[in-house]
Amino acid sequence: MRLGAVVIAVVLFGATKLPLEHQLDAAHRRLGLRAVEFNLDLREQIGQLGFIAALSGFRAIVADMLFIEAHAAWEQTDWARVLLLFREVTTLQPREVLFWDMAAWHMAWNASTAAVNDRSQPRETLRIKAQREYFALGKDFLERGIRNNPDRPQLYEALARLYRDKYRDHERASEWFAKAAAVPGAMSYDRRFAAYELSYCEGREQQAYERLRALYDEGEKERLPTLLKRLKFLEEQLNIPPDQRIPEVVR
Amino acid sequence: MTDPAVALEKITKTFPVPFQRRVIVALRDVSLRVSTGEIYGLLGPNGSGKSTTLKIILGLVSPTRGQVQIFGHDAASAQSRANVGFLPESPYFPKYLTAAEMLSFYGKLCGMRRRELAKRVDELLELVGLTAARDRRLGTFSKGMLQRIGLAQAVINEPEMVVLDEPTAGVDPAGTRVIRDLILELKRRGVTILLSSHLLGQVQEICDRIGILANGALVRDGRVDELLIAPDQTELVLEHASPQLVDRISKAAAEGGASVIRAAPRHRSLEQVFLEATTEK
Amino acid sequence: MSGRRPVVSLRRINAIALNTFTELTRLKVFYFLLLFALLLIGSSALMARITFQQELQVLKDVALGAMSIFASLLAILATARLLPQDVEDRTIYTILAKPVERFEYLAGKLGGVLLLLALSVLLMSVVFFVVLFLRQQTLLAETARQMTGLPSAEAADAQANIRHAGVTTTLVLAIVIIYCKAALLASLTLFISTFATTNIFTIVTTVFVYFIGHLQGTAREYWLQNAGSTVGRRLFLGAIALFFPDLQLFNVVDDVAAGAVVPVTLFAKTAGLGVAYTAIYLLFAWAVFYRKEL
Ligand SMILES: Nc1ncnc2c1ncn2[C@@H]1O[C@H](COP(=O)(O)OP(=O)(O)OP(=O)(O)O)[C@@H](O)[C@H]1O
Ligand SMILES: [Mg+2]
Repeated sequence: MRLGAVVIAVVLFGATKLPLEHQLDAAHRRLGLRAVEFNLDLREQIGQLGFIAALSGFRAIVADMLFIEAHAAWEQTDWARVLLLFREVTTLQPREVLFWDMAAWHMAWNASTAAVNDRSQPRETLRIKAQREYFALGKDFLERGIRNNPDRPQLYEALARLYRDKYRDHERASEWFAKAAAVPGAMSYDRRFAAYELSYCEGREQQAYERLRALYDEGEKERLPTLLKRLKFLEEQLNIPPDQRIPEVVR
Repeated sequence: MTDPAVALEKITKTFPVPFQRRVIVALRDVSLRVSTGEIYGLLGPNGSGKSTTLKIILGLVSPTRGQVQIFGHDAASAQSRANVGFLPESPYFPKYLTAAEMLSFYGKLCGMRRRELAKRVDELLELVGLTAARDRRLGTFSKGMLQRIGLAQAVINEPEMVVLDEPTAGVDPAGTRVIRDLILELKRRGVTILLSSHLLGQVQEICDRIGILANGALVRDGRVDELLIAPDQTELVLEHASPQLVDRISKAAAEGGASVIRAAPRHRSLEQVFLEATTEK
Repeated sequence: MSGRRPVVSLRRINAIALNTFTELTRLKVFYFLLLFALLLIGSSALMARITFQQELQVLKDVALGAMSIFASLLAILATARLLPQDVEDRTIYTILAKPVERFEYLAGKLGGVLLLLALSVLLMSVVFFVVLFLRQQTLLAETARQMTGLPSAEAADAQANIRHAGVTTTLVLAIVIIYCKAALLASLTLFISTFATTNIFTIVTTVFVYFIGHLQGTAREYWLQNAGSTVGRRLFLGAIALFFPDLQLFNVVDDVAAGAVVPVTLFAKTAGLGVAYTAIYLLFAWAVFYRKEL
C-alpha cells in the first residue's frame, strides 16, 4: 500500500535528519543558545499554560509577561514574589542580561534596604542578617547570569558594583571591573574603575598607582577628576619623588 | 497506421467502500475505441460509469485493470494530455478570476506563451459569444455561460481531442444549440470529440458513433445510423394529406404485403416549439 | 507534437502559484489575521512603554512573537484548505486535465502559500523595523539629553548599548528563521492534506505535530542517550524522534531578540534545515498524491 511506503520513507528520512538535528542542537547549546530545560520543575514554576506557551515558541513573550508581573510585585514591595518571578524570568530567558541585572538589583539594593529598615522586626541582628541574605541572592543572580552570558560585560560590572557598594569589598570589586574591561564591548570606564577600587585596598597601593599612572599617560580623555584625586592620594602614600608626580591641576 | 484518439482495453474500475470489505464496481471490462475526427457519444443512465470512463481517459482516475492509450500515450502520463481538452460535468472555475484571466491561466498550464495567448483568448471569447463578459468575474456567470467558457477553456491550446462530460446539462435549449454548434464547428476543424450525455435526442443529432453504458458495462457500441435503423421499417412523412389519401396508401400497402403501423398527425418536438417561441420577434 | 517535455516546468508551477496566491488574497480571514498582526506589532511599542528599562527588548519580543504566530497560523490555515477546496470545486479536474504533472500542481500550490507568507512577513517586518527604529531614536535622544554632563566616551557607550538593542542585521536573520519555520509548516500541512479526509483533520493534525515538534528535541536527546527504562518507552521516544521535526531549533529567534550573538553560519544551518524539511515534505506529499484518485 502506498501509505505504507510513505511511512517507511518518513522513517528513513527521520533516521537521516536525526544526526543533523542533534549536531545543530549541540551547536546551539555550545553557544549558550536555547539554554532552557523544559522539565517538570519549570512547569511547576510557571504553570501549565505558561509552560505550553513557552514550549511552543513563545518563551520570550512569557518571560516578558512574568517580568512585568515582577515589576508589579516590586511596586507592592512583595519581595518573596519578586524573587520567585525573577527566578522564572531568568530561567526562561537566560540570554537577556537585563533580566539578571534587574533581578540582582531588586534583591541586593531594594529588598536588602527594605529588610534592614523593617520596623516589624525589632532585633537589629536579625534585620542585618536578612539584609546579608538579600545581598547573597543578588550575587547569586549575577553569578548565574555571568555563567549564561560570559560574552557580555554588563553583568561583570554589576557584580563589581555589588561588591563595591554592598559588601564594600574593594579587592573583589576591582577584580570584577577588570574582568568586565577584558570583555569586548565593555564600557570605557571599567578599566578606570578597576584601578580606583584597587587604590582603596591596603597593601595594593603600588599596583594601583602603576595602573592609574598608565591610564593618566594615555592622554587627556582619561584624566578625569577622580582619577587625578586618587593618583594624588597614592603619590602621597607611596612618597613618589616630586619630579615624577603629575602636575598640579589648574582649575 | 495512426493511433486511434482513444483506445480503452478491458478497463475495470472498482472503488473500495470505506470501512467495508465490499467494493463498488464502476466499470467492468470496458473496451472502446474513438477514431480521430469523429464525434463519439457515451450514453447511459445515472451512475452507469460515464464520468468514470472519461476521468480514466484523462488520467484523473487510474483503472484497476486494463490499458488506456490516448493518441498512443499512456493516459497516466501528462504527455497524453498535451493534446486533449476537458470540460468536466457541471464545471466550476476559480470564481475570483475574470473570463479572460481564467482562459489565460489554463493556457499557461498548457505551456502557451503570453503573446499567442492574448490573441487566442480574444478569439475564443468571440467564438463562445462571451466577448462582452470578458472582464466579469466567473462568480457572476450563469450556468450556461460557465459551460460555454468551460468549453473555451477546453480548447485553449487547440487540442486534437476534446472530452466533454455532459456539456449541456442544465443549459437552456438556446444555450444547448450554441454548444452544439460549437461542437460541430470543432468537428469541422478536424477535432475528435468524446462526449457523455443522457439527452438521447441531442446525441443522436450530432454523434457519429455512440456507446451505451449500463451498470458499468458497455452494452452497445456502433455507428448511430446503424444502431437506429429499425429493420424492415420505412418512415413516410406526408404534408397536406387527406384522410382518404392515408386510407388509400394503407390499402396499397396491404396489397404489397406490408402494413401501416401508425398513422397520426406528426408532433413537433418541444425543442422546436420552444426555439420558435423564444427567438421570434 | 514535439518530442521531449521538461520533467518539471517552472512556467506551469508559476502559473499555479500565482493563481493560488490570488485565491488566498481573496480570503477575508487572511486580511483579518494580517491586520491583527500589524496592530500587535504597532502597539508593541505601547506595551513596551510600561516596562522599566526593557522597552526595546519587550518591543522586539512581542513583535517577533506576533510575526511568528501569524506566519505559522497563516501557513497552516491557508494550506489546509487548498487541496480540499480544489476537489470540492472540481477545479482540480480542469487543472490536472491539462498537461500538468501532479508534482507541478503541488509545488505550485505550495509556491503560492510561500509567496503569500513572504509578502506578509515582509510587510510585518517593515512595520516592525519602523516602530523599533522610531523608539530607538527617541531613546537615543533621551539618553543624549540625560547624559549631557557626563564624559563623551560614556555617553557613546550608552548610545552603543541602545543601538545594540535596536535595529540590527541579526534581527533580519531572525525573521528569515521565522519564515523558514512557517514554510516548513506550510509544506507539512500540504503533506497531511494529501491523505486527510477533512480540513479539520489536517489542521488538528498539523497543530498536534507543531506541539510535539517542540518536544522532539527533548525526546530525541533522551533516546540518543539510551535513557528511558522500558522498551515501550524507548520505542515511543524513538518514534517521536524519527517522525517529528525539531521545531525547537527555530526558537533560537528568542535568544537573538535578547541580544545573543549568533554566527551567520549557524543561522544558515538552521535555515537550511527548514528548507530541507520544506522540500522533503513536498516530496512526501507528491508520493501520496501521485496516483491518488480524485
Ligand atoms: N470516487 C468514487 N468513490 C466511490 N465510488 C465512486 C466514485 N466515483 C464514482 N463512483 C461510483 O461509480 C459509479 C459510476 O459513477 P459515474 O460518476 O461514472 O456515473 P455517471 O454515469 O457519470 O453518472 P451521472 O449520469 O449521474 O453523471 C457510481 O456508482 C458511483 O457511485
Ligand atoms: Mg457523470
